[in-house]
Amino acid sequence: MESRVDALRVVQDPAYAAGLTDDQWRMLSDDPEWNLMLGEYSEMVEPIMERYAAKLGVPARGAAPAPRQEAPPFNVIGRSIPRLHGLGVVTSLGRYVQNMRMNGMLFTRTLRSPYPHARVTAVRTEAAERMPGVAAVLHRGNLPPEYRDVRLGSGPPNRYLFSEEVFQVGAPIAVVAAESEHIADEAIHRIEVDYERLPATLDMMEGAGPFTLKQWDNAEDGTIVSITPPLVRGNPDGATAEVTLDEVLTKSTEQHLALELTNSLMYWDQDRLIVYYTTQHSHGSRNALSQALRIPANRIRVVQPGYMGSGYGYRAGIDLSEVHSAILARITGRPIKTMYTREEDFVTRTHRPEFRNEMRLGVDRGGAVRFGDFRVFANVGAQRGGGANGAWYGLQHLYAIPDLRLEATDIFTNSFRSGPYRCVSHPNGTFALEMMMERAADAIGMDPVEFRLMNLNEDGNIETGRPFSNPGIRDCITAARDRIDWANVRHATRAREVSPGVFHGVGMAAHACSHGGGTNPATGQVIVNSDGSVQCVSASNEIGPGQRTQMAMICAEALGVPIEAVSITEYVDTDNTTDTGSTTGSRQTNTGGRGIYEAAIDARNQLLRYAAERLSDDAAQVSPDDLDIQNGEIFVRDDPSTRLTLGNAVQTAGFSILGRAVYRQDTDWQRTAWAAHAAEVEVDTGLGEVKVTRYVAAHDVGRAINPFALEQQIEGGVVMALGAVLGEELLVDAGTGLPVNANMLDYRALSILDVPDTIETILVERPKAYGVFGAHGIGEPPMAPPAPAVAAAVHNAVGVWMDDMPITREKLLTALRNVR
Amino acid sequence: MKGFELYEPTTIGEAVETLNRLGSGAKVLAGGSDLVSGVMKDWVEGEGMPLPDALVDVTTIPELRGIRVDENGATIGANTTLTEIVESAELTSQYPLLTESARSVASSLIRNFATLGGNIHQRPRCWFFRGHDFDCLKKGGDFCFSVGGDNRYHAIIGSDQCYIVHPSDTATALLALNARARIAGPEGERTVAFDDYFVSPGEDILRENILRDNELMVDVFVPAPAPGTRQSWIKLKNRQVYDFALVSVAAAFTEENEVWTAGRIVMGGVAPVPYRATVIENQLQGANVRDTARQAAAQIRTVARPMSQNAYKIDIAQTLVERTLLEALA
Repeated sequence: MESRVDALRVVQDPAYAAGLTDDQWRMLSDDPEWNLMLGEYSEMVEPIMERYAAKLGVPARGAAPAPRQEAPPFNVIGRSIPRLHGLGVVTSLGRYVQNMRMNGMLFTRTLRSPYPHARVTAVRTEAAERMPGVAAVLHRGNLPPEYRDVRLGSGPPNRYLFSEEVFQVGAPIAVVAAESEHIADEAIHRIEVDYERLPATLDMMEGAGPFTLKQWDNAEDGTIVSITPPLVRGNPDGATAEVTLDEVLTKSTEQHLALELTNSLMYWDQDRLIVYYTTQHSHGSRNALSQALRIPANRIRVVQPGYMGSGYGYRAGIDLSEVHSAILARITGRPIKTMYTREEDFVTRTHRPEFRNEMRLGVDRGGAVRFGDFRVFANVGAQRGGGANGAWYGLQHLYAIPDLRLEATDIFTNSFRSGPYRCVSHPNGTFALEMMMERAADAIGMDPVEFRLMNLNEDGNIETGRPFSNPGIRDCITAARDRIDWANVRHATRAREVSPGVFHGVGMAAHACSHGGGTNPATGQVIVNSDGSVQCVSASNEIGPGQRTQMAMICAEALGVPIEAVSITEYVDTDNTTDTGSTTGSRQTNTGGRGIYEAAIDARNQLLRYAAERLSDDAAQVSPDDLDIQNGEIFVRDDPSTRLTLGNAVQTAGFSILGRAVYRQDTDWQRTAWAAHAAEVEVDTGLGEVKVTRYVAAHDVGRAINPFALEQQIEGGVVMALGAVLGEELLVDAGTGLPVNANMLDYRALSILDVPDTIETILVERPKAYGVFGAHGIGEPPMAPPAPAVAAAVHNAVGVWMDDMPITREKLLTALRNVR
Repeated sequence: MKGFELYEPTTIGEAVETLNRLGSGAKVLAGGSDLVSGVMKDWVEGEGMPLPDALVDVTTIPELRGIRVDENGATIGANTTLTEIVESAELTSQYPLLTESARSVASSLIRNFATLGGNIHQRPRCWFFRGHDFDCLKKGGDFCFSVGGDNRYHAIIGSDQCYIVHPSDTATALLALNARARIAGPEGERTVAFDDYFVSPGEDILRENILRDNELMVDVFVPAPAPGTRQSWIKLKNRQVYDFALVSVAAAFTEENEVWTAGRIVMGGVAPVPYRATVIENQLQGANVRDTARQAAAQIRTVARPMSQNAYKIDIAQTLVERTLLEALA
């Protein structure tokens, strides 16, 4: 029996999906790649979830009960509370996997392919094995037979533990385990490998060509992985407009640059594998290891210590190295420490893919958008991947476009693999769409803010009729407009020279994306101890967003106790938690947070039951419905002097209270995040430099659970996004396929000196029917608007359209040469 | 990292003797920010550039460190850290150009470790040279990957087969200040002016300067500038910390009523060596600097030969030269 399912193929290959057995549907639910898609690629999984709802346990529309609606006043929600584990984050007090050591542990280093496409014909490891301090060398030639057909991700083409045919620079060839990192590093340089080089496809559009060499049995042209069936609304072919714009907009490959390198420490405790790992999804990593090692999930324990130098989407499952390490730990009988190099983190993990958008937008001179015809290409790299149709969300939902066609093509190249990066595709879709809106407003001579407000879609999914819940997009746009003082700072193109050769400009962009609504599974536990203290247990992995502080707040509010009475474990241990999804898709507020909320309500109901028992006597029966909890005390609503501490209620029970979540998210709403950003820039035309002088970010957060945390998330997102606007792009040499700037010097993420002094955040609160206390997640939405907002401001400043991200000096000076 | 032997001499003589004995397999180690955490960590090697088997740590030699200023000029030991240079009031008062160039290097963390000698002798920037899987000409291979590859940061002036840019900010400033280096070798000491210190790829593609394997830079002497010398340093970076110069300009000149009398303009980030822009100096000779700055700066176009993707660096170089001249007058 095939012990796994190719999650990507389920969404890309209808025949494959139709042929899945019940057992494979179950496996799909556990598959980390599927879970990641649930969080990050709603566009890809929604059709499957709709079609196979019963197989996946998804409730039909209207079938799940609507969640409780909580209304202010609140005691805890809405307060700015510093991060509970913040001191550990900013000092060495927090335990990071990187700093963990065990007696007797070995270190690994991996020898990797320098060729983008090749066949490995021989691996000679004798010299490495002879080196003092080398404990083991693992490679294709000596891989235990039971692991020979183990592969990760979806195929074809397949990624085996050590592939004979390698499709990417960085594909693993051999792994050394040694007494020190330096010995391991020197040992891999003593391994000799023979390669037969094969033709590689590095250019995305070349991969789409009909004459490009196929690299696997592919029904599509060249290296096209998948062409999504187009979304067609109305009659895009017959539609006409007074002004039609045709443009191509592109974005380069980006990498996350998480500060802590991917690393793990693992060992076998008899027949159980214990893994400390930098993961965004402990249960996903456990499931992936369970699949790869072919042992039951309960024989693997994955611990994420709660302190982690972030992940931004590329650390939800595992990669090949983690399986190598588990096998080496078994072979050597010793703990294995595996620490990626910065270059490995750059090259072998996933990236926000390169995109190309071919956009056609028709508008009337009065300002009405008439039609859109948008085609998106994504470079998914050396894997079966997806990403192009993820860009559709904003294109489909942000504006009411009467006639619309969306196309999407995912193309394989022998290069960087794609995956989530604080979102995946929405920033690209928003960049392409908002640049078209800017150009259209410019073409018809209309104020771009007014133009946007005129065309908004505030109803819901036009295709399915599923409504938005209390959408705040208009409020976001007007709030950003008013804060930046649009009426006074906006001017005609190139009209404000602030010093010789330096021009001021202002621009705005709006955004809609699917992230932050929450997904299943949403679980959690709340324990009330006999001393009245409360502890939350959740598998929601803390990787930097600080969601566990908000989860403690949610628990405190739902239970009726002060925040000081609540603790939440910083770590996640799969041995004593239930899966609550990866920390991706901005979902943990409404997923892990939802789980804790429901668990707190469950605990509360139990407490009230025991309290009612205790308060009842022969004279008067007290019902749990008569009781309330506030500030950690249970009291009779009509007679507040009759009260009881939480501890007394627990004592009545005779055991600690364990509240648990039983919850399924409804499918009634088109759960959507909304934002608008405004930027002021100064463009130095002599040096090709863009300086962002002021930045305003307005986000509809539904309900601000912790305004302080929200501001941090929004500021951080804007800073990250500005990096990609102003310079970050991962480059590959067209001749060799080798990366050229996979290091922190040449891949220029911004320093603190390169970002605006302040990023002004505006929290628009429009509570959502599906949200915990009405909240909507915020992790990813800030990543999208900076590119079009800054590009719009650059156009306002100097009159050039920067259609290719990032805006480098080279591109800007070249563009300026054409307008001077 | 490849294993190596470490030597810790305590005198210049012992260091030279060690280097001479070990031959080309040994390298001088000071702060180590490029040699160890750059070249060796990243396995930057080739047939013409083997990784060292031994490192001779010269930070254990006290006489190599320190700043001495007298009426003739400043003598700066090769092991003086960049932070010490930045914080020297004596240097700042006479050589603000040197101070500012040192301050513009990397980050304060690195400047605390990195030495003047190391900064001058660090290996060049070129992401093909630095990439361990590119067997390029400069490492003894037979191909330059920058010609047909991504050359947006490569040289625009004075290249011959190899298009590296010289990475040192202090070397650029010191050439503008007409400094000279004192070198210790097995045959004794020699002094070489910075004018003659740097080696272009056309002369020897495997090296960037005249220092031999068995030699050691002892100190740098910077002559006292003529009274009223104008000095200015501008370094354009894509990132404000931890970045090398995209283009830098060091200007040191004397003027009377803003009319150029003598001086130097040296550029970093544009050529395989610190590039003295005599073509601009000549244009300024006897001319009013303020009025002529723009026209003189444009002279860079007469010597620049852009590659496929770096013509924009010529625009930037021109703008920066003009701004540096005007800033020097301010």
